[in-house]
Amino acid sequence: MPKIAVTIDDKKLDVDAGKTILEICRENGIEILTMCHLKGLTDVGACRLCLVEIEGINKLLSACTTKIAANMVIKTQTEKIKRYQNITCELFYAERNHVCSVCVANGKCDLQKLGYKTEMDHIRYPYLFPQCNVDTSHAWYVLDHNRCIMCTRCVRVCAEVEGAHNWNVMNRGNKVRIISDFDTPWGESETCTSCGKCVHACPTGAIWPKAIVQGQLEKKPEMITELIEKRKMNL
Amino acid sequence: MKTATPATDAALAKDPRLKLIAAKIKKENYKPDALIEILHTAQNAYGYLPMSVLKYITKQLHLPPSRVYSTVTFYHFFSLKSKGDHTCLVCTGTACYVKGAQAILNEIENQFSLEPGQVSADNKLGISVARCIGACGLAPAVVLDDEVLAKATAEEIVNKINAKIVES
Repeated sequence: MPKIAVTIDDKKLDVDAGKTILEICRENGIEILTMCHLKGLTDVGACRLCLVEIEGINKLLSACTTKIAANMVIKTQTEKIKRYQNITCELFYAERNHVCSVCVANGKCDLQKLGYKTEMDHIRYPYLFPQCNVDTSHAWYVLDHNRCIMCTRCVRVCAEVEGAHNWNVMNRGNKVRIISDFDTPWGESETCTSCGKCVHACPTGAIWPKAIVQGQLEKKPEMITELIEKRKMNL
Repeated sequence: MKTATPATDAALAKDPRLKLIAAKIKKENYKPDALIEILHTAQNAYGYLPMSVLKYITKQLHLPPSRVYSTVTFYHFFSLKSKGDHTCLVCTGTACYVKGAQAILNEIENQFSLEPGQVSADNKLGISVARCIGACGLAPAVVLDDEVLAKATAEEIVNKINAKIVES
């Protein structure tokens, strides 16, 4: 792979061409916050947390969907980016009904960790308190729309890794919801194979296995990355 | 792979509208990319997208059901509920509003007890509003089925709707 010279946070680096800014930063130990990124899955730039400043470009670009180019001067830790990350994090909490104290993912939740990372102490936006359903129709798993942040990691893992394409997104704006098949209850889905990959891909407590209580949830998203990499090795 | 199941064959024989969709799917070569074009055909044939038709299209195109459903719910053009045999769309853009679009809507509500977005119980009439249909010179504009009525009055609209309902 040809090497190109870039500058990230005033550090000069020789990096592989053809990779995304996020990949390069992770390889070089530069921290970038993400929610919708799961290594191995296609990046969609949905969460807007990985925004970076690039010299010569007026707007912030998402690191996960922007390919690195020669002589790029990238900044990842500016005040502007931090401000936007704070806004994004607070909007996540204001958009749905996130109640950590009763959540299965309490203590192991990516959204909770994000709150700590951005040092969120209050939410400046009015809570929407939307009416959200909890789908318990599946024999083993539960889908709780209250805790969903629409990262679409479950949608992508189901389509790209399992190949079942049970999940998708319906409606638009603040009415968006994750659906299985024709918005049928999960348990009645004809495409779901009950493989459980979406359970591990979900960064919050929105999809979880039944018969666990508050704070007991164990998720292994790295298992999905490993699976994808091992499949590539076989080829 | 491309043969229809016996159940859909029977439905095909009965429903000429489904035949139209089947022809469109064939014309598009069963390409999944043609989903939106095929949904357009279905929407025009039925006036909305019944679940049975969505299932038929899904099967024919070999698409995941969730993909079809997300496409249908994303675009406002597609509707999962019947809009009524006859549709009356009242423009409530600024020009039409000033010229008395609300009076027309009030009269429709008085006569047919229907608010914008509602469909009558017998499915004969559906009322909807649009922000602006781009015909401000014709204000207040009303679109009855596919006919644009310029400088409409409440009385005239009610009469025309009644005529349409009697006709069918």
